Amino acid sequence: QRLQAAVHYTVGCLCEAVEEDKGVQFSKQSIAAISEITFRQCEIFAKDLEMFARHAKRSTINTEDVKLLARRSSSLLKYITQRSEELASSNMEQKEKKKKKSSAAKGEKTPREQEAAVTESEDSNMS
Amino acid sequence: ERRSSSLQHKSALFSCVTGHKQMSSHESWSLSPEEYETWDRLYRIKESDGIQEPVLPWIQFETLENLEETPKHKEGAARELSLSEWSLWQSRPFPTSLVDHSERCHHFISVMEMMEQLRQEQGDCSYERQLQPHLRLEDVNVPRSRRHVSVASPT
Repeated sequence: QRLQAAVHYTVGCLCEAVEEDKGVQFSKQSIAAISEITFRQCEIFAKDLEMFARHAKRSTINTEDVKLLARRSSSLLKYITQRSEELASSNMEQKEKKKKKSSAAKGEKTPREQEAAVTESEDSNMS
Repeated sequence: ERRSSSLQHKSALFSCVTGHKQMSSHESWSLSPEEYETWDRLYRIKESDGIQEPVLPWIQFETLENLEETPKHKEGAARELSLSEWSLWQSRPFPTSLVDHSERCHHFISVMEMMEQLRQEQGDCSYERQLQPHLRLEDVNVPRSRRHVSVASPT
């Protein structure tokens, strides 16, 4: 429930941004529905990602698995691929800056990517 | 009259496909002349049928540039199959034959059910009320500009 609350809050913020952008209003109920959809979609994503990684005989989910989630739409796939390249290059920079943090950077990549994918699904749900 | 005869022929055709006669000419991927004749006569949608060709809706992303080409159909010639027209029916699982409902499908049903309940509400949202006490600010990115929003004080 704590997780759900955090998702709900974040969805609320995103919806607010859309409201400002498009000049439309979301009812509280529709924001609640988007939150619930997002929360449940995370479960689907998580399971798919795990399977994709396992299919490639990996136990660590990487960006290629995340891209597979977006395979059905070439627009979405292109967007995710761009973001993943941006992330990869900024990760490289960070690694060069702080070599001591290099071990943490790799572990951090996966959840962050996942979040990007989730944000994306929210966007699509909102439209 | 073609409709009703279609139905009768359909069951006849199915037994015919599973039977032996059809197998010989089935070497290529395309329809054999006999199969083509059957398809043309029973299943193919023609202008004289007075029904529109069914097409599936095309996906579009509102928030991204769209790379997909929207296929063009003649005006009024196609009937886009709707996935939302019968949403009121979708808050419970529909019967299955051989393929079970997926987990994804069950999520969809639950959310439709939830929305059905939320639909009755006015103003205050029960979902929000239920989750509000569990929100920890350290879990979320608080954007500077809109720190006040959404976390409507629980009253």
